[in-house]
Amino acid sequence: MDKRLRRLRAADRLSAPTVIEALLPTFVAQHGDRLLGDDPALTAGFGRTADHRGVAVLGVDRGADLATRRAKNGGALTVPGYRTALRVIAHAAKFDLPVVSLINMPGADASPKSERFGQSQAIADLIAAMGQLTVPNIVVFLGEGHSGGALGFANANRLLMLDDSLFNVASPEAVAAILRGQQTVSEAIDLLPMTAKQLQQRGLVDQIIAHDQPDLVTVIGHQILKQLAPLSALTPAELIAQREAKFQDFLAQWPL
Amino acid sequence: MGHYPTKGTWQTCPACGRHVHHSQWGTYQQCPYCHYWRRLTAATRIEQLVDAGSFDAVSLTATTTNALQFPHYDEKLAKAAANAAGADEAVTIGWATFSAWPAMLIVMDSHFMMGTLNTTVARRIMAAIQLAEKRQVPVIIVTASGGARMQEGLYSLVGMNLILAELARLAAVPLPLITVLTDPTMGGVSASFAFKGDVILAEAGAKIGFAGARVIQQTMPVSLPVDFQTADSLLAHGQVDAVIERPQLRTTLIEILASYAYQGGPHHG
Repeated sequence: MDKRLRRLRAADRLSAPTVIEALLPTFVAQHGDRLLGDDPALTAGFGRTADHRGVAVLGVDRGADLATRRAKNGGALTVPGYRTALRVIAHAAKFDLPVVSLINMPGADASPKSERFGQSQAIADLIAAMGQLTVPNIVVFLGEGHSGGALGFANANRLLMLDDSLFNVASPEAVAAILRGQQTVSEAIDLLPMTAKQLQQRGLVDQIIAHDQPDLVTVIGHQILKQLAPLSALTPAELIAQREAKFQDFLAQWPL
Repeated sequence: MGHYPTKGTWQTCPACGRHVHHSQWGTYQQCPYCHYWRRLTAATRIEQLVDAGSFDAVSLTATTTNALQFPHYDEKLAKAAANAAGADEAVTIGWATFSAWPAMLIVMDSHFMMGTLNTTVARRIMAAIQLAEKRQVPVIIVTASGGARMQEGLYSLVGMNLILAELARLAAVPLPLITVLTDPTMGGVSASFAFKGDVILAEAGAKIGFAGARVIQQTMPVSLPVDFQTADSLLAHGQVDAVIERPQLRTTLIEILASYAYQGGPHHG
């Protein structure tokens, strides 16, 4: 496997639950979509930061060992995961809590079950609901995030990425596959802008955080609060408009 | 050479593999042996759906560029244009009437790079929805797409959330959105606007889903049911409102538009 991908997918990679535990000394976990079930890959809920600010969180991680990786489906969220996220952000809007997403997830779950239960609709609903969210939302890429599933979390007012993280329309493997073996997976990473640095240069990413620093978890927490601070002054309509304008500006870079 | 038939006289049915004489497909492009509905170009689809002569194409001059210099993308674009019989991208938009009911019609075309969603397609769809909001008419989207176009990277992906943002404004008016899911409707199109219709129709025989059968079977060794991701199975599982045979699509759309009874707003005409 490519060296960069191996690091993002490593068992000891910083996971969302670790960041959530440090960020929220008081935390209430929310489980399940009240319809189909619960998704172990999603850590969701709300709580208070050390300085008593209320925050809702959504974390997606791959699992650190074989058993948890299996339970979490390698971080490929399933329909109950997206539907639980929808429930959590509706609750956040109700109680005026900003939403922080922390993700390290591969592309979509390719399985008959996800198709049967409407994976398409679940992803579309999350993307749409995040876009229309009346409270601030931010996403932190702790590793990879690809395809529509990641966009469900990344349709946000602020995008933060660890410096070695990747965000793309599809996994590097999928990009290599459309080129029918003419390029390796490593080469595929360089064909499209998907690194934190490239996406910051293109205005999509607001803050890059170095992954190799001693107090990484604390730094991530500080950056989240720093990015959230100016957003609390915006009205719901301004939050929705800022989110859309951010992505419109990105699209506008593509020559007509 | 002289005794060979002219190219295009015979075609192989993609579903049953039998040889079909071009005249046997008929008006609605159906295989006479296995009843497979052949994929239509945007031009043919429009002709089958709208009042004769009513389609008023909205031309947006922008064409697709290979801004990221993705390998072989230029060749693919050139080939796609030839394959799609003159269409310059994977979507065509325009005003149309359906038994005099006005609507904005958005038709995707799988002949152009498998109908994939890219910057140009997203821009056209957003422009079409905005125009419908101005004229106060319903929007009909006929989907046919393999998903987001990888050659444009994240620039393709953001078409999903941006089109959804535009649809939120259409819904706030409110104006009806009718989606017609045709073969194939997959990936980023399926996971954004395809299932956002107030009424969702699926064309009979269409394959509709997120991850395709081949991708699923590469991931896990499962045998998939024969009706996997078919229009009929989606109806049975409550994911679409109706499965419609191709010759009845036009009359079904007329019935839906007549039931909403939107005449068009003050800017109409």
